[in-house]
Amino acid sequence: MDVHKLWAYKEYVNVNGFMLSSELISLLQSSLTVLQVENHFTHMQYWGQIYAIDGDYHIAVGTTRDAIADRKYYYTTDFKFWGLLARPKKKYKQLSLLTTFPFRGDPSLKIKVLDEAMEEHHPDRCQEMQEEKRLAATISNICDEAEICARGQLIKQPDGTVVINPNFYGLTGPEAKLLKSYLHVRPAQQRWNSNLLTRQDYNYSMDFLDSIDQDIPSGCWNLSLEQCGTVAYLKSLYWPGMSYFHKVKTPDAGFLYIGNGKKNFDVPFLI
Amino acid sequence: MSKTFMLEPDLIAAGENVMPELNSDLVLAKNFLKQQSAATADSLYDHLVDIVQKILTQKPPDVVDNFEQYSWEVKHEKFRPNFDLLNDVYLSPPQLALVRRMDEMFRLVASKSEKMDEMGEEEQELDLEEEDTKPRIADLIDNNYYFKQAGYGLPDSECYALYIALNMLGIKEPVATVRFFGKIFGTKANYYVAETDLTIEELDRRIREFEMKDMPGEGEGLDEDRVQEAEEQKEMVGEGEGREEKPKEPVPPKLPPIPVSTWQPPPPIPVERPGQGVNKKVFWVCNNPGDQWICLPDVTPDQIRVARLSVRCMTGDLDAEIQTFPPFEGTERNYLRAQIGRIQAATSISPQGFYTFGSGEEEEDIDLEEGAGDMAFNPNPFYQGHTLKDLMDSNMMYWVHHGRHILKQGRTIWWNPNAGMEEGLEEEEDEGPPPMEPETGPPLFTTLSEDARLEGLPAWTSRVSSKLTPERALVTMRSNVWPGAVAYATTGKRSECMYVGWGLKCQPPNFSPLQLPRPQDEYIIGPEVMEMADPTFADEEAYRIAHLPPPPPPELPGEGEGAFGEEEEDED
Repeated sequence: MDVHKLWAYKEYVNVNGFMLSSELISLLQSSLTVLQVENHFTHMQYWGQIYAIDGDYHIAVGTTRDAIADRKYYYTTDFKFWGLLARPKKKYKQLSLLTTFPFRGDPSLKIKVLDEAMEEHHPDRCQEMQEEKRLAATISNICDEAEICARGQLIKQPDGTVVINPNFYGLTGPEAKLLKSYLHVRPAQQRWNSNLLTRQDYNYSMDFLDSIDQDIPSGCWNLSLEQCGTVAYLKSLYWPGMSYFHKVKTPDAGFLYIGNGKKNFDVPFLI
Repeated sequence: MSKTFMLEPDLIAAGENVMPELNSDLVLAKNFLKQQSAATADSLYDHLVDIVQKILTQKPPDVVDNFEQYSWEVKHEKFRPNFDLLNDVYLSPPQLALVRRMDEMFRLVASKSEKMDEMGEEEQELDLEEEDTKPRIADLIDNNYYFKQAGYGLPDSECYALYIALNMLGIKEPVATVRFFGKIFGTKANYYVAETDLTIEELDRRIREFEMKDMPGEGEGLDEDRVQEAEEQKEMVGEGEGREEKPKEPVPPKLPPIPVSTWQPPPPIPVERPGQGVNKKVFWVCNNPGDQWICLPDVTPDQIRVARLSVRCMTGDLDAEIQTFPPFEGTERNYLRAQIGRIQAATSISPQGFYTFGSGEEEEDIDLEEGAGDMAFNPNPFYQGHTLKDLMDSNMMYWVHHGRHILKQGRTIWWNPNAGMEEGLEEEEDEGPPPMEPETGPPLFTTLSEDARLEGLPAWTSRVSSKLTPERALVTMRSNVWPGAVAYATTGKRSECMYVGWGLKCQPPNFSPLQLPRPQDEYIIGPEVMEMADPTFADEEAYRIAHLPPPPPPELPGEGEGAFGEEEEDED
């Protein structure tokens, strides 16, 4: 969610009963604007919270030129110091899915993760992971699987960079009811022409991302229209705590994750 | 100067002796632009005019970067279907149906409050009595304000409509108190849940109904079933014997009788009557504020048992089928009720001293021992609030549960399965199951520090709403076991809890479905059915010798003796 629009979006945010309190918004806006200026970001977004025992992590994203490739993630526990999260290694992305321990709230804490799939006495069976790395890996996992945008919110320019569409007018009512109108914010994993040509009204600058209706199993996304059908909410069953809202026919939309950073592997039983 | 170099058209023109003219060039170019496309009958000229006009009127920033988009939008607008063919086609906004229902609800509540006003004016003295019949409705808007301070709660639009809906529930249904329990998400629609106490008359009616339905019916039905089963088995055995007689020539070997199942279903655990234990509160749900409130049926211990062993998302349809293992008795209506019962038992918390046993006005001597599981409690009028530091205490000694713990049996009050059988058991000696240890759960008002931890994670996390202004701050408790359950308490006299979530319990690492039970033994294990090694020749001989007929009496003549001797030699 754009940091400078948090007050306007306050009414629409609703993740498992969570709302943005006035104090949180004030703190975020003041500290994130400073961060934006220091790093020359064109857009600064509040990404969400990850619960920890001692104090919750707040996550922010800054983008410079490219809205997908040039993303930098920052975390804080006190709104004074924002730490940059390094791009996670694949190993840690895997390990962070395995561990069931809660986050502690101390970025330098090291935890041990046991990979039970490996055979006994394998040197990599029990590995250490720092909480900061785990945080980066968890966020990266959530972004890959659950961060979404409405179709047309991001456009690809002829030179290949992806930018936030300044002329996004929002989805229409019927479009907002289709899962196909929402796209993953990640480098596309499907073939470019399958993303493009499964649509009647395809558009080269919009349909370069994977749409979420391809996700397995069907039903892992929950789309609901609330407030008399004027606001569309999307929730992922895999990542409880993730929520995306889009106000129909307006450019207002936002993504927020507030949860304990654990993937829900029980989805096949739920639906 | 102008004659020093000539452009190509000039050369051609000079050659043909025709002078070029700017106007004719423009006309040529314009004619080209005005060529109509065969497919759409549109021309580039009109299109460019439209784009320029749109850009100049709307004045968007950075048009040059998004020029293609603009061009596309202009085209898109042109091909909008034309609804003017029929004169009066008005498309009503999709909100209409919902608004109608809301409107109906507002009218009802408004008319009721007007009536109350009139009554109040006419009969001032009777006002006090009137208060008694009026349901007490928890002030949702006020509580939501505090929740929002702490960063939880419902959006304002929803909150107000819901408060009116709770009022409607109070008017339409026979309830004494109404409280907003929470919101449960579903895949197709969400549920808003109201928690109520019934009026005394309605409760009496339901208890009578419950006793009529439950007490005489169950035993008879079961007995009949069992008798029928036994008869069927007898018949089957009988048929088997009858068939044996028919084919007379090849006499089949005598088969052992078909085994009879010795398994007996455990005695059904009786349901707690309305107004007691897990069924103390009655829950009403609706999909949208303004819809009819639907009463959820009482929950049975078996439903709670199965709900504990399964995970499932609500769909939003009360009659949806539940497919779980072990099988669940009932539809989503019952499942929702079971989940709400579990959530309520686990996440109803309040600061210590907020509620008290009895009415609280007189200091009563209360026996905690007797029926402590099902004691009535009321808000404590002497509650003074705790300090912020106490409420934030990491040991959570100042927060207590006011939800009754549900035992493994699926009841809050332990039911002794052997109570009815005791006389019988004495006669038959100890063949039945050994007498069970009575289950006990933590009593009411146990502190949260007693809650079980989840893999190093405490069951509750406390947070303070504001670090900048401690005098305005309040404390929230967030449940880690039931994500979505929160409670707040101010340093003053307010506290409330709420649940907004999927109705799923957090079970690390993951949910694993119940395994199928081991197959039962068909026969009693004995020498006839045990597998063993075949006897060797030596074994058989040893057996034969051991079982030889006794040696013939010595009076017999020598022949016999000889024969016997030969045999003996052979054997060796």
